[in-house]
Amino acid sequence: MEGDSRSFRIALTADRHVNPAAGDIDGLAVLTEAGWGVMQLPAEDYPVELGASLLREVAEQVEEFSRRGYDVVLVGERLGLAEALAAVGMPLPDQILPATGDDLRAFLAARPAPEASRLLG
Amino acid sequence: MGVAFVAHCLLNQNSKVDGGAVCPGVYSPAVDLLRSRGWRIEQMPCPELAFTGLNRFWGVREQYDTLAYRRHCQRIAAGVAAAIAVRVDEGEDVVLIGVEGSPSMGVCITSSDPRRGGRPSWADGSGELSAGEGIFVEQLRWELEARGVRLPRIVGITRPLPDHDDAAERAALEAVLDA
Repeated sequence: MEGDSRSFRIALTADRHVNPAAGDIDGLAVLTEAGWGVMQLPAEDYPVELGASLLREVAEQVEEFSRRGYDVVLVGERLGLAEALAAVGMPLPDQILPATGDDLRAFLAARPAPEASRLLG
Repeated sequence: MGVAFVAHCLLNQNSKVDGGAVCPGVYSPAVDLLRSRGWRIEQMPCPELAFTGLNRFWGVREQYDTLAYRRHCQRIAAGVAAAIAVRVDEGEDVVLIGVEGSPSMGVCITSSDPRRGGRPSWADGSGELSAGEGIFVEQLRWELEARGVRLPRIVGITRPLPDHDDAAERAALEAVLDA
C-alpha cells in the first residue's frame, strides 16, 4: 500500500474506554499511542433496540476487516456484541478487560503481526 | 460539553481506501482537540467500507450514487439519526464531523466526475473535488429532517484535500465547536 500509513490493527473498544469517566482506563489514548485503529462500540445507555442496530453495523465492518487479514481485538465488553458478530459468522475476537493502561499496552504489544500487513504492508 | 458524532476514519484510518490512510490508527489532530475541550466522541459507521469493502478503488460521487448505495446509507443514517435524537433529547449540544473531499462523508466538498468509470487511468489532481455534500451526509440530513431533529453544526476535516493546512483545519473545527 504505497503512501498509506495504516496499521492493519483494529480494537473494538467499549465506549467507557473511548469516553472514560474518572477512574476508567483511557483506552483511546493508549490505542492512539500504539497505532491501533478504534471501532467504538455503542454506548450502553442507548435503548436496547438502537444499540442492537448499531452493533449490526459494527459487525458487518468487523467481518470485512477480519476476512482481509486485519488483526481485530476487543477492549472491554458490550452486551449484544457476541450475538451481532455471530449473525455475520464471526466469533468474539481476543479480548482484554484492562485494569490499567499498562495491561492494555502489554496486551497490544504481544499481538502477532497482522496477516494483512505481511501481504499488503 | 457536548457530543461529537465523528466520521469513522477519524478513529480508524484502517477504513480508508488504499493510499488514503494518513496515520496508523487515530487521526489525532481532530480527536485530541475534541477531547481537550471535553467533547464526548461517538463514531459513525463508514458507509463505503461495508458496501464496497477494503479493496475498493478511489471513487467519486457518481460511482456511488446508486439506489442500492442510497438504501445502504439510509439504513446507516437511520441508526445514526436515532442516536443523535437521543442525545438531543438529553439536552446535549451535538456536532457532526465529516471528511472533506469524500464522496460519502464530504460536508462542503465532495468528489465528483461524471465521466469517471471503466478501467482506472486518471491521475491524481484530475479535478474531481467539487462543492457539495457526500451521499451519506445528505442521507443523514434527510433522516434528521424526517425525525424533526435540526441538523447539528457540521464541519469536515480537510486532511485529504491537496491544499490542507493544519492550522486552518483546527480553526474551522474550533469555530464549529465554539459556535
